[in-house]
Amino acid sequence: MTYAKEKIMLNAIDKKVLKEVADLEGLPKGAYNIRKNGKLEGREVSANINIETNEKGDGIIIDIKPGTVNESVHIPVILSQAGLHDVVYNTFIIGEGSDVTIVAGCGIHCGSNESEGHSGIHEFHIKAGAKVKYVEKHIAIGEGSGKRILNPTTKVFMEENAQAQMELTQLGGVDEAKRFNEAWIGAGSVLLITERVMTEKEQSAESKNEITLAGTDSKTNIVSRSVIKGSSSQDFYVNLTAKARCYGHIECDAIIMDNGINQTIPALRALHPDAELTHEASIGKIANDQLMKLMTLGLNYDQAVNRIIQGFLR
Amino acid sequence: MLQLQNVTFTVPALETGEKKAPSEKTIINDVSFTFEKGGFYAITGPNGSGKTTLAKLIMGINTLTEGKIFFNGTDISSLPINERSNAGIVYGFQHPARFKGTTFRDLLSISLGSDDEEKLVNIISRVGVCSMDFLDKPVDSKLSGGEIKKIELATVIARNPKVAIYDEPDTGIDLWTIGPMVALLKREQKENNTTTIVVSHNKTFLEAADTLLLIKKGKIAYTGDLEGAMPMLEDLSVCAFDDLCQGEDNAQCYR
Repeated sequence: MTYAKEKIMLNAIDKKVLKEVADLEGLPKGAYNIRKNGKLEGREVSANINIETNEKGDGIIIDIKPGTVNESVHIPVILSQAGLHDVVYNTFIIGEGSDVTIVAGCGIHCGSNESEGHSGIHEFHIKAGAKVKYVEKHIAIGEGSGKRILNPTTKVFMEENAQAQMELTQLGGVDEAKRFNEAWIGAGSVLLITERVMTEKEQSAESKNEITLAGTDSKTNIVSRSVIKGSSSQDFYVNLTAKARCYGHIECDAIIMDNGINQTIPALRALHPDAELTHEASIGKIANDQLMKLMTLGLNYDQAVNRIIQGFLR
Repeated sequence: MLQLQNVTFTVPALETGEKKAPSEKTIINDVSFTFEKGGFYAITGPNGSGKTTLAKLIMGINTLTEGKIFFNGTDISSLPINERSNAGIVYGFQHPARFKGTTFRDLLSISLGSDDEEKLVNIISRVGVCSMDFLDKPVDSKLSGGEIKKIELATVIARNPKVAIYDEPDTGIDLWTIGPMVALLKREQKENNTTTIVVSHNKTFLEAADTLLLIKKGKIAYTGDLEGAMPMLEDLSVCAFDDLCQGEDNAQCYR
């Protein structure tokens, strides 16, 4: 089923949001589903990627045929209606042996004093031997004073020998974020998660992660990079549980600026004697030696800070 | 060209023992010296003698307690690090900073003031000791001690400094690279008339220098050529443990 493209009317705000969350100048190539203010704005399927509304009507099912390679799906969400709190349940079925990129993300444009929010629950069923890259960006813009709230949930089920790389980014503008990531990793599968969050002003962000290394030789690497500016706060929790011979690593780094506060709580649970789990965590200000180095290369203090943060959140 | 005038640097130091009032420790004590344009200088001396501190005072990383520093006739004593850098003084750290996410390409682009691929590649070829595939490596804790020192060297040279200060550039560098590194610094000195100041214990650098400064207990104990310094360098007088000395052959020798 193909929806006629001429029906899709993207205004200037929509275009700006799409550019920010999905790097799109206009409509994406390949399969896509654009949701705006709780409703379907446009959809395109491809020969290998089907998108349909789920039975309950509260989300979509993205079904990627086995063996689909080098294809992408864009599923951006635009929110610009004052007072709207949109909840969506999306399911991704990534077929055996496929290799695809999924670009998700939500952009809020807040133009009033009413709050706006989006809770996206994304469930991934990654079949044997499949490889998926999932890119999710969250932004909030606009002159309005209403709270911008984003509460994403990601549930990942990986069969054997699958690979998933998840890049989860929220760089400013979002007042409240509560993230929950859950993953179950099968034998020989690899899950890489990189979360980058920048908060400022009075914003708060929380990320809870429950990751289970369930199958033999499963692997995971969880990286969290936080920059906490103004009077904002960020909390990061990971429970990494190993139930088989496996390898898991957690790396969380937080840079505190101004009066920001941070909690970082990585937990490792080995329920199998051959589990190998490690973690490193650091919280602190920008290292002085980094600032000194960049200043010896001619940058002033503020420029040096910006460059260090830019690299850190890349 | 670069003139140190009665340069002194003290730090607050708590006396060991009970409840004594804080006192000051003098790290650099009334040093005056002029580095001439295009000269190659080696600063050497025992551990803890103040070599690195002196080099950092020139760059502005440490702030002078007393004295003045003039660069081409201008008093730069109160200039911040970046302004000294923009005036042409650049410093290669003994223990270079390790970043997260920032790559060699980022540092080199900042140093060059351009991210033009051709210019970056030219710098890497000019430096020679860095492999081209370093370019997109993050400058983080995964780099070996030698790799990060080569990157540090390249970022200094990329700035085309008038005065290049290298603090123990050979730390972590394999023996086979030290020769080419000295040759590189000599070439930069000759071709670009770079005033080169190397803090080092390595004889290869000391031999390469036109002038050697021997620092002992925060003062210049000797300036001149290596030959003239040899008796002092070989003498126990440069040992930092001379207060405890019971002779070199004694098992108590701390050297």
